[in-house]
Amino acid sequence: MVKSYFAKSLEEALEIRGRESVIPYAGGTDLMIEADDQASYLFLNKVPELKEIKADAEYIRIGAASTYAEILQSQLIPQILKDAVIEIAAPAIRNLGTAGGNICNGSAKGDSVLIFFAADAKLRLVTSKGERILPIKDFYLGRKKLALQKDELLVEILLKKTGLDHYYYKKIGARNALAISRVSFAGLLDMKDGKIINCATAFGAVSDVVIRRPDIDEMLAGKTTDEAKTVKDAYLEAFDEAIVPIRGRVSAEYRKSVCMNLLRDFLESNGI
Amino acid sequence: MINFILNGEQVSSNSNQNERLLDVLRDEFRLTGAKCGCKEGECGACSVILDGKLVNSCMVAMGSIEDSTVTTIEGYSKTRRFQILSEAYAAVSAVQCGFCIPGMMLASECILAENPNPSEEDIRRGISGNLCRCTGYNAIVEAVGTAAKEGKGLW
Repeated sequence: MVKSYFAKSLEEALEIRGRESVIPYAGGTDLMIEADDQASYLFLNKVPELKEIKADAEYIRIGAASTYAEILQSQLIPQILKDAVIEIAAPAIRNLGTAGGNICNGSAKGDSVLIFFAADAKLRLVTSKGERILPIKDFYLGRKKLALQKDELLVEILLKKTGLDHYYYKKIGARNALAISRVSFAGLLDMKDGKIINCATAFGAVSDVVIRRPDIDEMLAGKTTDEAKTVKDAYLEAFDEAIVPIRGRVSAEYRKSVCMNLLRDFLESNGI
Repeated sequence: MINFILNGEQVSSNSNQNERLLDVLRDEFRLTGAKCGCKEGECGACSVILDGKLVNSCMVAMGSIEDSTVTTIEGYSKTRRFQILSEAYAAVSAVQCGFCIPGMMLASECILAENPNPSEEDIRRGISGNLCRCTGYNAIVEAVGTAAKEGKGLW
């Protein structure tokens, strides 16, 4: 018989997750679109440990079942993430949808997912027996394919506290509210003493997984903006090769040219 | 058995945990104010207030609302705040066909509950998930602004 479970604590949730074959349900907004009365859900939306947003010395720790509305309200959340979250759907969905759900839905269109990729966020995955911390890049194995074990729950998203302030974010959708991204882009440029210490870019809704290529972004590291200009063409060319869009509601060609325009605008708005 | 508070009363539902709150409200509790539009969280016709927040009841599985508080347009319509909003809607002729209006009213309530003095931008953002199929939004935006003034102190 199909049975769903309502968990009141993380311990209880992990125990059920380890014992039964269940689909973790946080906000439900992605799951209910194709509501399945035969599914066994594990309801996590009232587990307190999954709803905390806190900070330690190194990280901002976002409980996986924190809703978008809660993320917007928190003073700990960096503005780059708030900018992306405020454009997700509309208030009623933001009151339900969660950051962890956005990640575990496994789509490259997830608007908060893009920011977590750009920020090289880490995920804390927990079972009743132990835990592991995985970079978000390694969590995505392909379209709707995740490195989530059958007995594991995503408990926290870990964002580094530094290097997120100087950012560029654009979402291209068909309209202002309730729009699914056609292309989204986030760029971070962290400067110190006139030199780029970190450049991080991420392209969403383009391919099966958010595109994040630290090996290419590395070309700008350690350079002043003037020095960065000398490698600009090579940098753009490398991304031109790296971005291979898939056709969706919009053509692959459209996606490609939007990506390159946004990347160029990101550089130019930073004087590169 | 799922226990929750519906329009101020403690109730229990025998529904399956996977059923949509929208369907249970309409079929089991015979509260038909929440309308079924898209079942995808896109139109807002099924809006209800869940634990003080506007949500699309088509996106909520019953198993997730144990011990929660649900207010539908039927419950809300008995409040003084509703009366003020309703009069404001009438005063500026923010009349709709009846399909989206329950959701619009609940969205309006949530806008004012969060911010008793909303700007036009706040109001537009607040109703951005409630699609109108008949006329438009300008009169509704005006009505919420009017209610904010008329109902001073209520929100």
